[in-house]
Amino acid sequence: MHQKTPEIYSVELSGTKDIVKTDKGDGKEKYRGLKNNCLELKKKNHKEEFQKELHLDDHKLSNRELEEKYGTDIIMGLSSTRAAELLARDGPNSLTPPKQTPEIVKFLKQMVGGFSILLWVGAFLCWIAYGIQYSSDKSASLNNVYLGCVLGLVVILTGIFAYYQEAKSTNIMSSFNKMIPQQALVIRDSEKKTIPSEQLVVGDIVEVKGGDQIPADIRVLSSQGCRVDNSSLTGESEPQPRSSEFTHENPLETKNICFYSTTCLEASTSPVGTVTGMVINTGDRTIIGHIASLASGVGNEKTPIAIEIEHFVHIVAGVAVSIGILFFIIAVSLKYQVLDSIIFLIGIIVANVPEGLLATVTVTLSLTAKRMAKKNCLVKNLEAVETLGSTSIICSDKTGTLTQNRMTVAHLWFDNQIFVADTSEDHSNQVFDQSSRTWASLSKIITLCNRAEFKPGQENVPIMKKAVIGDASETALLKFSEVILGDVMEIRKRNRKVAEIPFNSTNKFQLSIHETDDPHGKRFLMVMKGAPERILEKCSTIMINGEEHPLDKSTAKTFHTAYMELGGLGERVLGFCHLYLPADEFPETYSFDIDAMNFPTSNLCFVGLLSMIDPPRSTVPDAVTKCRSAGIKVIMVTGDHPITAKAIAKSVGIISANSETVEDIAHRLNIAVEQVNKRDAKAAVVTGMELKDMSSEQLDEILANYQEIVFARTSPQQKLIIVEGCQRQDAVVAVTGDGVNDSPALKKADIGIAMGIAGSDAAKNAADMVLLDDNFASIVTGVEEGRLIFDNLKKTIAYTLTKNIAELCPFLIYIIVGLPLPIGTITILFIDLGTDIIPSIALAYEKAESDIMNRKPRHKNKDRLVNQPLAVYSYLHIGLMQALGAFLVYFTVYAQEGFLPRTLINLRVEWEKDYVNDLEDSYGQEWTRYQREYLEWTGYTAFFVGILVQQIADLIIRKTRRNSIFQQGLFRNKVIWVGITSQIIIGLILSYGLGSVTALSFTMLRAQYWFVAVPHAILIWAYDEVRKLFIRLYPGSWWDKNMYY
Amino acid sequence: MTKNEEKSLNQSLAEWKLFTYNPTTGEFLGRTAKSWGLILLFYLVFYGFLAALFSFTMWVMLQTLNDEVPKYRDQIPSPGLMVFPKPVTALEYTFSRSDPTSYAGYIEDLKKFLKPYTLEEQKNLTVCPDGALFEQKGPVYVACQFPISLLQACSGMNDPDFGYSQGNPCILVKMNRIIGLKPEGVPRIDCVSKNEDIPNVAVYPHNGMIDLKYFPYYGKKLHVGYLQPLVAVQVSFAPNNTGKEVTVECKIDGSANLKSQDDRDKFLGRVMFKITARA
Repeated sequence: MHQKTPEIYSVELSGTKDIVKTDKGDGKEKYRGLKNNCLELKKKNHKEEFQKELHLDDHKLSNRELEEKYGTDIIMGLSSTRAAELLARDGPNSLTPPKQTPEIVKFLKQMVGGFSILLWVGAFLCWIAYGIQYSSDKSASLNNVYLGCVLGLVVILTGIFAYYQEAKSTNIMSSFNKMIPQQALVIRDSEKKTIPSEQLVVGDIVEVKGGDQIPADIRVLSSQGCRVDNSSLTGESEPQPRSSEFTHENPLETKNICFYSTTCLEASTSPVGTVTGMVINTGDRTIIGHIASLASGVGNEKTPIAIEIEHFVHIVAGVAVSIGILFFIIAVSLKYQVLDSIIFLIGIIVANVPEGLLATVTVTLSLTAKRMAKKNCLVKNLEAVETLGSTSIICSDKTGTLTQNRMTVAHLWFDNQIFVADTSEDHSNQVFDQSSRTWASLSKIITLCNRAEFKPGQENVPIMKKAVIGDASETALLKFSEVILGDVMEIRKRNRKVAEIPFNSTNKFQLSIHETDDPHGKRFLMVMKGAPERILEKCSTIMINGEEHPLDKSTAKTFHTAYMELGGLGERVLGFCHLYLPADEFPETYSFDIDAMNFPTSNLCFVGLLSMIDPPRSTVPDAVTKCRSAGIKVIMVTGDHPITAKAIAKSVGIISANSETVEDIAHRLNIAVEQVNKRDAKAAVVTGMELKDMSSEQLDEILANYQEIVFARTSPQQKLIIVEGCQRQDAVVAVTGDGVNDSPALKKADIGIAMGIAGSDAAKNAADMVLLDDNFASIVTGVEEGRLIFDNLKKTIAYTLTKNIAELCPFLIYIIVGLPLPIGTITILFIDLGTDIIPSIALAYEKAESDIMNRKPRHKNKDRLVNQPLAVYSYLHIGLMQALGAFLVYFTVYAQEGFLPRTLINLRVEWEKDYVNDLEDSYGQEWTRYQREYLEWTGYTAFFVGILVQQIADLIIRKTRRNSIFQQGLFRNKVIWVGITSQIIIGLILSYGLGSVTALSFTMLRAQYWFVAVPHAILIWAYDEVRKLFIRLYPGSWWDKNMYY
Repeated sequence: MTKNEEKSLNQSLAEWKLFTYNPTTGEFLGRTAKSWGLILLFYLVFYGFLAALFSFTMWVMLQTLNDEVPKYRDQIPSPGLMVFPKPVTALEYTFSRSDPTSYAGYIEDLKKFLKPYTLEEQKNLTVCPDGALFEQKGPVYVACQFPISLLQACSGMNDPDFGYSQGNPCILVKMNRIIGLKPEGVPRIDCVSKNEDIPNVAVYPHNGMIDLKYFPYYGKKLHVGYLQPLVAVQVSFAPNNTGKEVTVECKIDGSANLKSQDDRDKFLGRVMFKITARA
């Protein structure tokens, strides 16, 4: 019984059918490698469940048995009541969306993640401090309670903000997922009804028209020339015929089963393919449902930026906690009360934690995500924005991503010559010689011996974009002739078709007989196209320069050379021939009978060859070159034939012009493949067959040793193996995919990229990013944005961290030197969450300093977002200078009000005593407690203004890390100036607008104090320019190593 | 699982060891001796420069100041009131007339406070005309005498116990010094008891008058020997009234520019204190 129940993973069998014909009977053996790999993906019990459910023998049953099994009637369909019962039993026919984290959990995660814990600790310390105060003095001031509440509020607000941002970006995606509800035509109660396909149940009889999606797994009862596109299931876009016959033991291969979410195509042999079938599986029990649940078994990897931010949070939290504890101990040993020490601790924590930073990072990432969406990269997961930037290997699909996904005429051969046709997106530039009379004949054959037609009503659509009824090759020929000759339909009308033999796989040719529009000779013209060797067999002459010449050995040889050459380019080659039927034998009234074949099909005149390929997108070669200079390895993974794959790889530069594979070298040197030194080869083409037999070490070796790799004839599942191989190389791997079977690989990859046009929903669900135009070049722009955001995040973080020192120093000085507190906790929050927010976001708009696509991708574990030089330079250089500047403003205010710096030292204790209301200043004046407090607030405001002014300088210097600001352009990034303006305006509002609100502890500050720190700000700028100058002058020097962040 | 953890623990220990001292590269804490030397030298120079710069800017800032008068006096437009003896934790005095140790500290404090007001100390001071502001042009500024006898029973001249031994404790009230302050009108300090059963609050000098001749004040440096005018408050506890407490509020009155009603500053032009007389 088990041999009849194949593993689900052999789904892609059909795709590789033609190369492994020999072992067709043994499906299990062929996909051994795959199976083993995928088995790891799920738990054992899952596997058994799958097997049981896949015990599908409906394809072997006769119609009667089926009716019996599902209690239905093929003519009458189910009764509505029975259908309703089944619907209640089985649930709707839709895939259960992947399990979502409950919203409340997501929200709570935001509340405790990152710095939130530290701030909560601060808040609780505040309340504890109040508790201690209250127990000794019932009238203790509520300040600490308020501060605790403010801290809690800060956490909650930033949490809500982050949650909102995340929800917003998820919404983009879910709107994407919502598609127009699918309808299905079903027979119920012996009536044809259209119902939403979600309501389908097993036993329903459905009709599917060409172009429709198959609404569930169905057993075909009758079909007219139906072919299905199983690409969403297997990744293989070759159409598969479907009929009611039972052709294979394997339910996945037999012709009489169509799978949910695959598409029924309009087949060329019948105008509209239709299928009548019985629903045998719905919803999650369909094949696609199984695969979708498989994808959810692959864990989500943590994104690099998440790791970086975690790393950064650890650093900052580590600094905060260790300084906090250190000074707690110092405070206690300086005989401060525990209560005071706790309050110091709170201040230190609040000063050290960049409260607004994580929100800023989120905003920055979502700004970039928006920018990327404009460039056709829709990012589902915000953090994926940066992941793309650190990508070091891209595993790309071929069809549709690297190529245009349509057959296009690439070469022509006539008059013993190969001509190149324009394969660019619009075909505008056909330069080959069209004067030859042979071309006239050839073009006539191309035009007439073709069944493809434009869909009506597309007069204004450019030719290349018109929709066509017909298969890929015929479409290519139709468009080719339409571009060169003009109105093809008109030509066909003038040369009426009188008889036709359509293409079939036994004949391998297509033939039609036409009346001609030649007014002189009313002869019939027979035109034929097909496999070149077949066509040549039927010919006895060949047309050269419009003249018929006998087909001799030498011309046959040139034909073969041309045929081999074009075939070697990976192109699909067709031969064309014609014959004018003599008017005397075939008069105008002659009746052609295609079954009797009452006309000659030999001794024709060979006219030419034409080869087609799915050409690369014109933007791709550039993009690949860019990737290469950006140090990103591009690996092509395709289900296509190795020759075609290699040809495309060469034409887009994935295999560069001068590199050779082992086989190439063997061929050139005329030696056996085994004798070639593998080190000589730069490129490798590996087929799925070879991959299957490889151990992971061998795969690692290939991935490590070859710069240019093409995987051909691979199944979507093998993609997963390749991705894992790449990840073993410590690479950040981006993978493109469209089929359902790609979803495990997409999930496994560091960044999974689904195709927006060709991609299946399952692939889009599993991916981190959706490529709206399916274009490889868009990935490269994405990479560029990702790298830019990494750089800019560095700048943002450096900017934000700097002022932490300026906020922290006051507390340290307060504890050690005993100055009246220079800056309040609330004031710090106003800097972190007020004035600094917009400027730090503005840095996200900064342009790249140099060509970021010319450097290697960052090393995951070495090039950190927050590295030692960044922290040291921000904290110990600029931060310290800022602190000095702010202290200068503080001392100025106190001194000008009467307290000279030397008086302030160790004044703290007296200063803070509530009952001391006659504290003497340096001039003999006496101050009440409240007067001192007001002066203290003025000091806060002064310190705040000092930091603010210097943060403007900090913002300007952070625009670049290496270049001079003047190289970068001071005014190029306008948003920076918006940021500076906002900073100043918020500062002014706080000081002059809210100066009278006691709780905020701001006061109206004299205008001149705004300028006290300006020299320090200028100094910061000058110092940083010097730093950058030395970095530029002495790259690699001690200075560069220690000062470049 | 545990095996892995152990291994990683060992590994990280080894990594730490290597980080602390790496014998192959001679690196100590991730840097070679030369690198450490360079770093230390750099920071020495850099921080030296910063320190010098900060000192310089501070010096420049101090040059903008006047030695005699602060640049701005906007934050103390009006004086606060303060009481003596100096309170220890809050404005509360507790004493027992029968227990001299309970008020010895207060008397000590008062004596100390009144030391500059002794005749001996005041003999070099000027006798100024009463009832008018005593404005001076300098360059030498003289201070006016404050005859301590004005405080009468609280002067300490006749009663070295300042009334505490009799159950009539004295509290001195003083107005904060503010440079250049010129009270308008006729300022006086008005003290009232908040307890109705002990309304007996005596104020010296008579009516709590503050003579204008002590204003304006010209600052510590110019106005050497300046004495603030004082007002004494004497609360009389009747002998049978032991174990009672009384709250007294003193306010500046009679001057338009000396505020005594501020919502936030409870000591601006006023002061409130509590005296408890135990048995």
